[in-house]
Amino acid sequence: MSWTVLARQDGRLTVGAKSVKYLLALLVAVVMLGAYVYPLFGTEPITTARFSGFVVGWLATLLPLIGVLIGYNAVVSERESGALLLSLSLPHSRGDVILGKFLGRAGVLAAAIVVAMIGAGALVVYPFGELELPRSLAFVGLTVVFGMIWTGIGVASSLVVATKRRALVVAFGVFFLFVFAWETAADALETGLNSAGILDGELPGAVEFLVAMEPGAVYTRLVTSVDPGGSLEGAWYLGWDVSLVAFVCWATIPMGLAYLRFAGSDLP
Amino acid sequence: MVAIDANEVSKRYGTLQAVDRVDLTVEEGETFGFLGPNGAGKSTFINMLLDFVKPSHGSVSLFGNDCQGEGVAARSRIGVLPEGYSTFDRLTGRQHVEYAIRSKAADDDPIDVLDRVGIREAADRKASGYSKGMAQRLVLGMALVGEPDLLLLDEPTTGLDPNGAAEIREILREENERGATVFFSSHILEQVEAVCDRVAILQDGELVALDTIEGLRETMGGGTKLVITLDRLEDGTLETIWAVEGVDTAVATEESTVEITCTNDAKMDVIVALHEAGLDVLNFRTEEASLEDMFVEYTGAGR
Repeated sequence: MSWTVLARQDGRLTVGAKSVKYLLALLVAVVMLGAYVYPLFGTEPITTARFSGFVVGWLATLLPLIGVLIGYNAVVSERESGALLLSLSLPHSRGDVILGKFLGRAGVLAAAIVVAMIGAGALVVYPFGELELPRSLAFVGLTVVFGMIWTGIGVASSLVVATKRRALVVAFGVFFLFVFAWETAADALETGLNSAGILDGELPGAVEFLVAMEPGAVYTRLVTSVDPGGSLEGAWYLGWDVSLVAFVCWATIPMGLAYLRFAGSDLP
Repeated sequence: MVAIDANEVSKRYGTLQAVDRVDLTVEEGETFGFLGPNGAGKSTFINMLLDFVKPSHGSVSLFGNDCQGEGVAARSRIGVLPEGYSTFDRLTGRQHVEYAIRSKAADDDPIDVLDRVGIREAADRKASGYSKGMAQRLVLGMALVGEPDLLLLDEPTTGLDPNGAAEIREILREENERGATVFFSSHILEQVEAVCDRVAILQDGELVALDTIEGLRETMGGGTKLVITLDRLEDGTLETIWAVEGVDTAVATEESTVEITCTNDAKMDVIVALHEAGLDVLNFRTEEASLEDMFVEYTGAGR
């Protein structure tokens, strides 16, 4: 398969970049730090599965940042320089190039997540904790997919514009919108409408639904559903099943739309 | 079999007609020169063959595979040196060739390839530190990987000194002898003249000539070039010559030397016209017209 050649090549180049090494080291350090302090501050029982509820908030902020930073220059910097033309002169389709870039980079991030989780698991289990393998594996799997979602958003930013600077602006725009602004804006809207007397209580269901579909919120709910200490309550769309569908949509739709735009564009 | 088939292909950018209804067929085994001044649309045409650019109208195919619909199949048997490329930042020359070998599922030895294009000693240096000429050799090497049936090269000798350009031409000749079709663009005419079976001349996006070099000479009315040395050159001397029927181009090359391409019958008329204008012809000789002269005629660059 053509994309395996491209994924291997791009993965190797990605790991070779100094900035990526620092980002991945930061991820591993944060997760390990979490695992180190969790037995001190967490509530009994101390298990690897309940650790998920302890770090999910950190990961929901950190992984989007790392994902967009790893992804945003995937295609656009080679497009700007002209190196992309060398790849596309070879018998690779544009789809292969994108898939290779995405899997190369998402793979590097996934490997770092797995390494961090294994280290964290050891810190949690030793000396007093307990290993709950199936739920912990589900947590690692969800985290890998969450990393892929944000790498995908980064790569998608790389595909829809023609310069690296613009790709960075788009990628960071999406990052700030979802990670920082989304819920805050909804809260502010609710408070504002309440104090103005337009609204009594909560925002309309459609708005609440939109707020809940933000990738980090979806990820957090899914992790909560595998955390023995967590529980999901509320409207029908806050259940794990709808969240899982939303998760899959986030993993595929941004890349799909960006691919369609890129596939039909003139390159030089 | 047909290597390249362009069927009334056009490309429009806003109000600019970059390529205008080009109809072109290149047979397998040919060495084909694609000529034209800068900005004539040569690269746009080649970029449509590579599917970097989508045609506005018409279609192009390589070995019967549509370049847009079946791009991967179309590119599976070719080696490419595109315009406006750059090398990969963090890869060495050898890694570039290895990438091409893996991508084409070929089994060449990277060092042999680099040796052939003359940059073996730079194999393990990062390509980002290469000169333009070395990068050009590297990408040509990538193009040669896997014994392609067609070499598609956009200005292959850019950035090379005359010796380097001659080496590249020698490689192209070897590849053609092996059985590969060679298609390359250039605005340097003597190179095309030296190696090509047929040439096409593109001007403002339109194909203005498509023939063998001999054929081009014939359509030029015998293809005679007159080199006349006069006692002096006055304002209006060139106009006097242009006014003679059968004259295609007249260019003042040195202080009082004029190069004229014309039909055989017009030669004496030119001498007579100059004499009547009061100028003394000190010397004159005739030459076979070179492609350069034809190029000047077709693209109007001399006037």
